[in-house]
Amino acid sequence: MSNNPLIRPLFAAILVAVLQTAFLGYMIESRASILRNGVDVVLKTVPVDPRDLLRGDYVILSYDISTIPADKVTGGFPAEPTDAQLSVRLEKQPDGFWGVAEASFSTLAPKEGSVIARSAPFYFYPTPDSPQASLNADYGIERYYVPEGEGKVLEEARNASALSVTARVDDDGRMQIRLIAVDGKPLYEEPLY
Amino acid sequence: MYRGRIEKDFNAWISKGMLDPVTAKALLAEYDTRETVFSAGRVLLVLAALLLSAAILLLVAANWEAIPRLFRVAGIVGLIWAFYLAAAACLGRGFKAMGAALLVLATMTFGGAIALIGQMYHLSGDATDALLVWFAAACVAAVAFRSAALAVLCGFLAWAIFGELVIDNDTSFEGNGYIYLVPMLIVIVIALVRYTNAGIARHLAYLLALAWLGWFYIELPEVWVASLLFGAGLVAFLMASIPLSPLYRFAGEAGAAPAFYSFALAVMGLAALHTEVDGLGQEIAIGATTLAVALGGIAIAGRLNGAVRFLGYAVFATETLYLSFVTLGSILGTSGFFLIAGIVVALVAWLVIRLEKRFSSKAAIEGSVA
Repeated sequence: MSNNPLIRPLFAAILVAVLQTAFLGYMIESRASILRNGVDVVLKTVPVDPRDLLRGDYVILSYDISTIPADKVTGGFPAEPTDAQLSVRLEKQPDGFWGVAEASFSTLAPKEGSVIARSAPFYFYPTPDSPQASLNADYGIERYYVPEGEGKVLEEARNASALSVTARVDDDGRMQIRLIAVDGKPLYEEPLY
Repeated sequence: MYRGRIEKDFNAWISKGMLDPVTAKALLAEYDTRETVFSAGRVLLVLAALLLSAAILLLVAANWEAIPRLFRVAGIVGLIWAFYLAAAACLGRGFKAMGAALLVLATMTFGGAIALIGQMYHLSGDATDALLVWFAAACVAAVAFRSAALAVLCGFLAWAIFGELVIDNDTSFEGNGYIYLVPMLIVIVIALVRYTNAGIARHLAYLLALAWLGWFYIELPEVWVASLLFGAGLVAFLMASIPLSPLYRFAGEAGAAPAFYSFALAVMGLAALHTEVDGLGQEIAIGATTLAVALGGIAIAGRLNGAVRFLGYAVFATETLYLSFVTLGSILGTSGFFLIAGIVVALVAWLVIRLEKRFSSKAAIEGSVA
């Protein structure tokens, strides 16, 4: 070992900085890989809470596929309260948007012409006496940060209900936003990096 | 501060001829060479680092669109590298305070980087996950640099995780199980405190343990939980304070804290038991137990441990007032209650003065023997 007092802290600095850089890189790359390898689905969406739009931080987007009617759930509901994740089969509808064909608490098998999305984990609490009419699912694409002052456009589009999101779904069912469009015209297109 | 007080005492002893000025000077000089983690200058430097990191975090929140995304990522990663390398340079050359401040700045910047990247790439991640990663990074850095300042930061991040779980996530027993990570965080922080010699940060860990156990009781308000808290606190207190105990020396290394916080846990358990009791018999039983615990605590650990002593006094006084209110309050009415309260406080004061005198005379005798 060298007696230079700089060696140990320098080694520590490089170790720590490499680990932290690696994690940040992993965050960026795990999203980019979904965008690179995923399949496009076009989703009908509405931003909830329009105040967020004007505040210029982020929009919470709510999708038609965020609400899953209970009769679309195949394979039954868990009997006990549990941590659950939904497997959701999306299929293209006649109007061009993708909708929920079926959903399951277990994993769904892939099928031609459909895409399987995985919801974020949530806590499922069964209420046998008064079954829920629908389930809420998050897909990790509910948040979109908009530059300050640009929220107006999105808000007007929301009022005209003309907002759509093109998302990419990878083989594991993870989703990322690729494009936000108003009346079919792209408004924000997301680069890989 | 301790430095000022001890100098004043030295001057008084010198003027009384009890201490030779040369020795006093040598003692003060020895004290000044000691490495203290929390000198005023260091604290200010770390505060400056915190302010700078807050500026970086705010820059992130402003979502600066003028710069392309990859440049922003490169910039913040560059800042992390620059801060850590600068910290290493300072530490290697013996600028300890500056080094500690830079380490805090670097680790705070990493937290900002997680937020910035989450925002730029629209990742709807979970705040708890982000905090856990940040905590892990801070722990690794604290070990790698053996940095007390980072151990303190880890203590605060552990609190942030607990706060996020309890306040924002409204966590419960059946939830995703993250709440059970909190004891592990506490153990990690205490280990870091011991490894990095971060003294004061251990209070963050102990307070978090108390808060977590308190949360446990609030989630599950049952008699057995309250009894368990009381029992565990009492056992831990005895283990930490009775010289025969195998843990006595180990606990002693950590100063007054283990005995005080285990005593506080026992008191917390008793307070919870007070809300569970039903009927006069139980009320009196729990009241008597509380008084006994307060006096027992003072008797066992009070002489060496001022914090336990004062908590003991406070518990004893509160319990006596509470009991007199419950048993006599309704008979005597409000003014009568104040009368009783006055008498009780006077009695407690008398007791405290007697005990304090006894402790100081005992200390004097032992001091002369040693």
